[in-house]
Amino acid sequence: MTKLSSKKDNPKVILELRDVVKTYTTGNTSFNALNKVNLSINQGEFVSITGPSGSGKSTLMHIVGLLDIPTSGEVLLNNLDIAHFDEKKLAQIRNVTLGFVFQQFNLLPKTSALENVMLPLLYSDVPQHLRRDLGVEMLTKVGLADKLVNTPSQLSGGQQQRVAIARALINNPKIILADEPTGNLDSKSGSDIMAFFHQLNQKEGRTIVFVTHDRDLANEADRIIIIKDGQIQIEQHPRHVET
Amino acid sequence: MVKYKLNNTPAMLKPSLGELVRSSFHSIFKNKSRTFLTSLGIIIGVTSVILLTSIGNGLQKYVNDQFDSLGSNTVFIVPGQIFNDKGGFNNSSQNRLVTTRFSLNDVATLRKGLRRSQILPLSQAVVDVKSGPILKKAKSLVGVTSDYGAANNALPSSGNGRWFTKDEEDKKSNVVVLGYQIALDLFPTTSPLNKKIVIKGKNLKVIGILDKKGSTFGGPSLDDFIYTPIGLVFDINGNQDIQSMYVKAPNKDLVPTTKDEISKLLLKKYDKDAFSVFDSSQLLSSINAIIGTLTIALSGIAAISLVVGGIGIMNIMLVTVTERTREIGLRKAIGAYPNAILLQFLFEAIFLSCFGGLIGIMLGSLGAFAINKVFPAIVTPGSVLLAFGVSSAVGIIFGVAPARKASQLSPIEALRYE
Repeated sequence: MTKLSSKKDNPKVILELRDVVKTYTTGNTSFNALNKVNLSINQGEFVSITGPSGSGKSTLMHIVGLLDIPTSGEVLLNNLDIAHFDEKKLAQIRNVTLGFVFQQFNLLPKTSALENVMLPLLYSDVPQHLRRDLGVEMLTKVGLADKLVNTPSQLSGGQQQRVAIARALINNPKIILADEPTGNLDSKSGSDIMAFFHQLNQKEGRTIVFVTHDRDLANEADRIIIIKDGQIQIEQHPRHVET
Repeated sequence: MVKYKLNNTPAMLKPSLGELVRSSFHSIFKNKSRTFLTSLGIIIGVTSVILLTSIGNGLQKYVNDQFDSLGSNTVFIVPGQIFNDKGGFNNSSQNRLVTTRFSLNDVATLRKGLRRSQILPLSQAVVDVKSGPILKKAKSLVGVTSDYGAANNALPSSGNGRWFTKDEEDKKSNVVVLGYQIALDLFPTTSPLNKKIVIKGKNLKVIGILDKKGSTFGGPSLDDFIYTPIGLVFDINGNQDIQSMYVKAPNKDLVPTTKDEISKLLLKKYDKDAFSVFDSSQLLSSINAIIGTLTIALSGIAAISLVVGGIGIMNIMLVTVTERTREIGLRKAIGAYPNAILLQFLFEAIFLSCFGGLIGIMLGSLGAFAINKVFPAIVTPGSVLLAFGVSSAVGIIFGVAPARKASQLSPIEALRYE
């Protein structure tokens, strides 16, 4: 399998998986959710991961997101093998390097949009007196400057997901990981969110990795990784795919 | 765009203490009725501990004050063995049956043997007292000598008459000095001075009313006593038995030697188990020991509800952790390390518990204040601190298990939790 080069000239690998195996054991039976996966993601790339359900795309996402550690193999973030870091160190890396966007938004209920956005700062070294300003700036960026004090239940699905994106951005992460970010949204809000991801990718050069089972959405990426039965089947440039 | 530079020395605690406090406050007040119900166990526990200790303290102070008013140089002589070897009160019921009665001879012996001390014999009768239409049953008529009042700081204050004289004592004059409460009971509307009361068919003239000795608890109160010349009580009782004697030593330092001398003199006539000689400090320390033990025992029982309250907190915290599994997963995903989650939930448990503790302290103090109107009760800073300390300890102890559970959740499973 040959890796496709990024469209950018001097691609710098930001995240790399080498021979990653993830095995789940239930009783006597064990099951390889990921089987010798090799993958590298370049800085500034827009990558989609797709595949049928049960293919291992969520597991792959969790490994990439440092939420789970592989049974064997290496996970290199900026050429640093983090596969065997302890939970405290991993949490710190997640805090400053990664931004998560979930299908379920995962906003804290009964808590204002601003406070939701500021949540990651609780676990960061960002000085206290700047936190509020940062939160306001992020919400302004996602177009919700007028919804600072609204709680999630007072916001539409699309607005909630934009709050979640603001939250993902607040620590200025290099990589945004999105797990079915449009899965709970109507098509209009969904395409707004996708457009916003493109903007983050193109204007700010952020690396975006998103998981979707929707092939049309997957095609919007620079590169599609199709996974099946725990192995990467195809890595392709969408322009080479006939849709 | 907000620009910032990260500190070179990162904070030791993320989130900071202030943020932890703020977020605990926030989350326990998001669910007010649950917070209140969860804290109820602690509220009840702390309230009862505060009430009971304040009653214990009040009682102790009351007893101490009473003894102070008797004077610290007083030695008491009573029938039977009232103390055991360990300095506590004797609880053997046989000794209660001892029917030693002292006699005027004993008084004379003591007067001869202890020239520098004052010997005050007491003879009591339980009588019904009438004043006009008012009848008071089973009141203590205490026969004493003319020097009893002065020796016990029990002289009527000016305007309230006087104690009886030596002459009246010798002549068995029909005069009485009323305790504060009995005077009020017999003469609710008028001044009792120079009025008559009737006891056992005798008309007795009220010549003095004593000051209030203090509020009443249990047993007979000094304020309920009627004092009269001792010979009169001998006549009423039909014998010359003396139930007890007070001996006023010349000063406090001579109390031990006085006690020894009394014992020596009385042992010539009586068996050593037939009487007890003790001073107020001895009695006081025994009573204080009893009140102290009672207070600890009762507070201990009340503290059981603190444990029950703690279990309630643990239960609700486990429910909270389960309810907020997704939140925990999210927090972990965005950078909360395990101890940050642990502290967050531990703080919530401590907050719940301290919230209950504070309300309990308030209710307990108000309760003690109300009780103090009828019964001595004093809230001490010590008991407040203790109650607060115990309730925070309960929060910590019972909060650890749920908080650990939360901190050890796997972020993926927590995020997937429905």
